[in-house]
Amino acid sequence: MAISMSRYNARRRRNRFAVALCFAATGFGLIWLVLILATLLWNGLPGLTPALFTESTPPPGSEGGLLNAIAGSLILTVLGTVIGAPIGILAGTYMAEYGRFSRLSQVVRFVNDILLSAPSIVIGLFIYEILVAPLGHFSGWAGAVSLAVLVIPVVVRTTEDMLSMVPGQMREAAAALGLPRSIIVRSITYRAAKAGIVTGVLLAVARISGETAPLLFTALNNQFWSTNLNEPMASLPAVIFQFALSPYADWQQLAWTGALIITFAVLVLNIGARILVRSRNPQ
Amino acid sequence: MNAPMVGQGQKQKVAVRDLKFFYGDTLALKSISLPLYDRKVTAFIGPSGCGKSTLLRVLNRMYDLYPKQRAEGEVLLDGENILAPGQDLNLLRAKVGMVFQKPTPFPMSIYDNIAFGIRLYEKVSRSELDGRVEAALTRAALWGEVKDKLNSSGLSLSGGQQQRLCIARTIAVEPEVMLLDEPASALDPISTSRIEELIDELKSDYTIAIVTHNMQQAARVSQYTAFMYLGELVEFDETSRIFTMPSDKRTQDYITGRFG
Amino acid sequence: MPRARSVSREERLAIRLRGFRLGDRVFHSLTFLAAILVLALLSGVIVSLVQGSLPALHAFGLNFIVTEVWNPVGDRFGALAAIVGTLVTSAIAMLIGVPVSIGIAIFLTELCPMWLRRPIAIAIELLAGIPSIIYGIWGLFVLAPFLQRTLEPWLIALFSPIPGLNLLFAGPPFGVGVFTAGLILAIMVLPFITAVTRDVFSSVPPVLKEAAYGLGCTTWEVSRQVVLPYTRVGVTGGIMLGLGRALGETMAVTFVIGNAHRLSASVLAPGTTISATIANEFNEAVGDLYTSSLIALGLILFVITFIVLALARYMLMRMERRAGA
Repeated sequence: MAISMSRYNARRRRNRFAVALCFAATGFGLIWLVLILATLLWNGLPGLTPALFTESTPPPGSEGGLLNAIAGSLILTVLGTVIGAPIGILAGTYMAEYGRFSRLSQVVRFVNDILLSAPSIVIGLFIYEILVAPLGHFSGWAGAVSLAVLVIPVVVRTTEDMLSMVPGQMREAAAALGLPRSIIVRSITYRAAKAGIVTGVLLAVARISGETAPLLFTALNNQFWSTNLNEPMASLPAVIFQFALSPYADWQQLAWTGALIITFAVLVLNIGARILVRSRNPQ
Repeated sequence: MNAPMVGQGQKQKVAVRDLKFFYGDTLALKSISLPLYDRKVTAFIGPSGCGKSTLLRVLNRMYDLYPKQRAEGEVLLDGENILAPGQDLNLLRAKVGMVFQKPTPFPMSIYDNIAFGIRLYEKVSRSELDGRVEAALTRAALWGEVKDKLNSSGLSLSGGQQQRLCIARTIAVEPEVMLLDEPASALDPISTSRIEELIDELKSDYTIAIVTHNMQQAARVSQYTAFMYLGELVEFDETSRIFTMPSDKRTQDYITGRFG
Repeated sequence: MPRARSVSREERLAIRLRGFRLGDRVFHSLTFLAAILVLALLSGVIVSLVQGSLPALHAFGLNFIVTEVWNPVGDRFGALAAIVGTLVTSAIAMLIGVPVSIGIAIFLTELCPMWLRRPIAIAIELLAGIPSIIYGIWGLFVLAPFLQRTLEPWLIALFSPIPGLNLLFAGPPFGVGVFTAGLILAIMVLPFITAVTRDVFSSVPPVLKEAAYGLGCTTWEVSRQVVLPYTRVGVTGGIMLGLGRALGETMAVTFVIGNAHRLSASVLAPGTTISATIANEFNEAVGDLYTSSLIALGLILFVITFIVLALARYMLMRMERRAGA
């Protein structure tokens, strides 16, 4: 045998070096999650008091909480989802069920992918142009609509994917019973794809609940308690943005605690979505 | 073609006349004519790709779900041409039920799998619905096995049970014709023989067309058999004649296992 | 049995079916309208951005893209610093993020024990779930001071004797700046590139890898000589997707870039990006020309991300077509 041991050893060394780099890369990837979560807990937990949930954002130097921001975030997120998710589900339904073989579906798929990765700040500008500038004032509605525009492409994508995964034979079997198309879709294929569609909606909610950029020029922010959608509305991300960059220690504390709340809410949504997918597809 | 000679005096539930079928520009069925006799089982045999499943999917116009598929000619159901443009597909499919190769229970409970179709078409009281579900399951020889777990998912049943559930679901809508597309080919031998017994019982009420690649099965369950080859109907005759003295050489070669 | 009641049954069916047909048509139209709305949204974005940027484009023409000046007081605006900042931060993010992502993907598909794969993959993907403002606040208060004390002085010292590179890493260490923004972006795009890369890696037919292992290849050789060449197009698509993210990312960058409208050779100096400029200045912008210039920036950003995304899709499509063939 003409195996050159020195050559073989060199290869082994190179391999060991590369493998070590891969381990290091994985460590590098994981360490940030740990560091960020640890920082959030360390800086955010001390501010986690009951007052946080009962009082609105204070002027600098006085006591207060995040009630208006939390409420605003909930309202904007829920509204954004309620507006965006049905549109996304319907559009995804068109592409997977009615227009599966049509040219329109291909175009919509491409356009949807562009919307999916359009920078969210650009969406904010768009809503500013059509809902804020013409009306002359910032509003909760504008914020909710800009979030809805972010929800739609996520939901369209997952809905189409999930419906396409429902076996065609299921549709044929339903059609063979004489069921009309709309009932096949609503009672059979939606049901078969339910977990996936819900997951898509959850992921969309997770995405918008942490979004800041599109809210900056739409819902703006509001120092006070307000549920009037025609007025500017507070939101956790906007408050974090404002307070974190302020020089006041108590504002910064609120920013950290707000960051802690929002991050854990989003991570819970993400993990929940994953568990949902997994419980339906045990393989 | 000797089709008109066979089974004279029998009532024709379905009459296929000069049927051509196209996938895009490809001619998949070349001028097929044959009858389905009322309350008889007609088996379609032939090597794969011969068009037997395609023919079945014309009879309830399942092909309409897909673009670029079209049929020419006539298919008369009780004298009415179901290929006519005005035909209501849902109505047609309520009258012509279909069972597929792979069991396809809907993602809902056993009870709802049956009740779903009934409720869509008829307003029935809860107790009547219960009765209809039980009757359908009984007819499909499944009642005894599932009566204690009607609320569990249809997907929790075994393959053979799922297939009988699909048959029960089809029966519940009270069709007149049943199309069975290789209904037992995905099942084990015991489940297969139960399905075959079931087909034998069902023919007293329904006109049945069954596609199968299993010649013994065709011989066991059918009264008439159509042998198809390359999109053509080679021979249609009483099953006993097809399997004992086929008139076409190709039929003989196929049933003796020389090709296919 | 079905025979006896077929007439009345037929009538009953016909009545029900009439109702269904209406329902069918309504539902079909609704889904169709929703699909059209998706198209309308994109058209709306394009039209409103173009319309909003017209005043600026009229005033400055193509010079807008190649001018560095950003002077709200004198009403003179140029996008060059922001464009360059966007491209440079994204380039840094790719330089760091791509090798790391590929390393993680190799780890996950070749090295990691089965039971650990899922937890690690999920942990990496959770990075994508953290809102970008959290990266911003963390980057500003934790990462930037840390870099200012450690990595940046070291880089400055290391490269100061080398002509050329000493300009690229010129001091003083601010902590915030182009490099910090790039590093944060690298962390943020990591999960996206890793997810795509891992997926295309696992699409490599096992026989190919087994054949290479059968020749006595090492893990690294299999990855380098078999897996990567086979998946090159798909991996590139994943990188482009990550790049699209990095280019458009706003909040995280806004916190750590330092917001300085000038070009600087040093990556340690403060700078700005398109998105950070818009986020910082849009609400304070007075005058139509200022606002319009910011919207024009948004349009430029949109065009850049569109091009990158279209390339990414094209590559992933080619990959899929090959996998299907």
